[in-house]
Amino acid sequence: MALVILLATPLLAALSTLAVRSRAALLEVFAAIAAPVEFAAAAMIVVDVIGNGKSEYGSYLAVDSLGAVVLITVALVGLAASFYSIGYLREEVRKGIIGFSRVRQYFALLHLFLLAMFFAILTLSPIGMWIAIEATTLSTAFLISFYNKPSSMEAAWKYLIINSIGLLLGFFGTLLFLASSAESGMDRFIDWGVLTREAAGMNPMLAKIAFIFVLIGYGTKVGLAPMHTWLPDAHSKAPSPISALLSGALLNVAMLAILKFKIVSDAAGAADFSRNLLIYFGVISIAIAAFIIILQKNYKRLFAYSSIEHMGIAALGFGFGGLGTFAALLHMIYHSLAKSILFFAAGNMFVKYSSTKIARVKGVLTALPVTGVVLLIGFLAITGMPPFGIFITEFYILSAGIGGHLPVVVGVLLLLVLVFAGFLRHVTGMSFSEAPESLLSGESNYLTLVPPVLLVFLFVAAGFYLPESLNSLINAAAALING
Amino acid sequence: MSYLNETTMLALATVIFAAAGLLHFTQKYSSSIRLYMLQSCAISVLLIASAFDRLTPLLVVAITATITVKVLIAPYFFFGLIKRHELKFSVSAYLNTPVTLVAIAALLLLTRSDLFSSLAGLAAVDEKLLRLAFATILISLFLSINRRGALSQVLGILSLENGIVAFALFAGLEESPGFQLGITFNILILVVIATVFASMIFRKFGSLDVSTMKKLKD
Repeated sequence: MALVILLATPLLAALSTLAVRSRAALLEVFAAIAAPVEFAAAAMIVVDVIGNGKSEYGSYLAVDSLGAVVLITVALVGLAASFYSIGYLREEVRKGIIGFSRVRQYFALLHLFLLAMFFAILTLSPIGMWIAIEATTLSTAFLISFYNKPSSMEAAWKYLIINSIGLLLGFFGTLLFLASSAESGMDRFIDWGVLTREAAGMNPMLAKIAFIFVLIGYGTKVGLAPMHTWLPDAHSKAPSPISALLSGALLNVAMLAILKFKIVSDAAGAADFSRNLLIYFGVISIAIAAFIIILQKNYKRLFAYSSIEHMGIAALGFGFGGLGTFAALLHMIYHSLAKSILFFAAGNMFVKYSSTKIARVKGVLTALPVTGVVLLIGFLAITGMPPFGIFITEFYILSAGIGGHLPVVVGVLLLLVLVFAGFLRHVTGMSFSEAPESLLSGESNYLTLVPPVLLVFLFVAAGFYLPESLNSLINAAAALING
Repeated sequence: MSYLNETTMLALATVIFAAAGLLHFTQKYSSSIRLYMLQSCAISVLLIASAFDRLTPLLVVAITATITVKVLIAPYFFFGLIKRHELKFSVSAYLNTPVTLVAIAALLLLTRSDLFSSLAGLAAVDEKLLRLAFATILISLFLSINRRGALSQVLGILSLENGIVAFALFAGLEESPGFQLGITFNILILVVIATVFASMIFRKFGSLDVSTMKKLKD
């Protein structure tokens, strides 16, 4: 039943939002009710999965341990982003940047975006998952062009075209995988389980070709290089809470699609091939992101390139396998939290400084005392400094690769040093410099502070203590991927 | 597919492929849209033939929706766009015509490569048909990358989707009506959003030429 609630809530919230004619407060109420309900439903599903190994409704909706790991991340980032959006949009309305109709459009699309992501995780059908992920592209295109500026229009167009092409290639790969099951009758519903069971009879060469298409297709959505070109533009032009959702939630959903197909392709006898491909794309992503991070001039693009880097690290972990898989899953969770923290801080900085240029942001610690601390913690967390969780996951991922891929591990280590140097240069420049005298010190409103601060506490706590239930859930998910 | 003989299927596959090829060289927007309509009509015939012996009310709805979106609604939106902004000639491609021809020839060679021989095993009908569908996929993909016009890029994506549908049909893959409706709904939304964006791009940049959009360089 929780699965139905999880899908019905954002749908109802979107419809209710569209029905509102003039009262902006109602839009906020719908968002403030929907997000906790969705989080509670997701938590119930995860508890069910921990207890029974699976949570299902009818023949078409189900979540296993792998889906549960991604689901709880999406619900958590969705909860934080929904509350943050209320405070953020209030500020934009107060400054006269947007009006009521834009706020209504924003919340309606936000609910639809969440609905699409939840459906992608919950559906048992590979085609259903493709439809849902394509729906995320369509629901977020107008959120990226939200400010209606030429640059945001350009970013949205790029996002729409590149992702549509990528996802069609992913669809082609999906059909190639389905072809193996079609031989034993296409009149039935083919779910992930059927696909995996019957993959053993699939031609391994066909499985490899299909996995290439899937990896290029969904990899475009994950932001893996060289298909990443849309990501920095889209993430930097979207309103900050949407950037947090794009980075902290959507990338994980697309990665989930790749992992599900990796399981199928491994069952077809192409395990080494898929692992090597993930390592290849992972390294390229980390390398491209590292070199651009050091030269970056825009802090939202800086965080966007960091997402490419971290998805590359996760891909590397899945490619290394074994302990690397467990660490990569945990890395995806930590990255979601840390990146949401950073994008929320970016939103507060944008409201205060009206610019996303690093050179124009000075004295954040003085002008925005709480946001400044959040930014610093976010920076240390995302660059993998101890004692934060990302340090541990990166350590485990690289450890997993030392035996079989030593040159890759050494190269990635050097690139991570480069990323740290780049972040250090930019963040210290923004944080510790003198704030402009004309700038009034102080945060905008509590709703733009509470979500990032709570996420900081959660992130720090999760670095020191991982509950046994979550540990076993991630272990079960890793076992599914490792086969 | 048993309702169509090999010759008819080959003719339809040729139409689908030729339309994708000609989309590279059309000068007028109206000709490009008509080529897409023609390609979609051919796909529609294949869809109906593939479903003829297993028709259910939901499948009829799904096929009708697919045909309506591809043959009527999408062209309606595109013709509306070019009429509203008084557009006649399509924006040129990144590569000139001879180089485009060479690139297309190279892509067609891929359908003769080892890559395709693994896919050929999927053929539920004549392997030639699958080869044509695969060629359509490749040259449609190239179309969306090579063209500078926003509308041409969208037509490339839709042609790519038609190529994939043709490939699936020739490989004997038919999706359930529910998912068919889902995919069609996505295409409809893509067409609507892309048309709105193309219109906004024209208003902001004074052209549908996406190479004029250079505001993101920082």
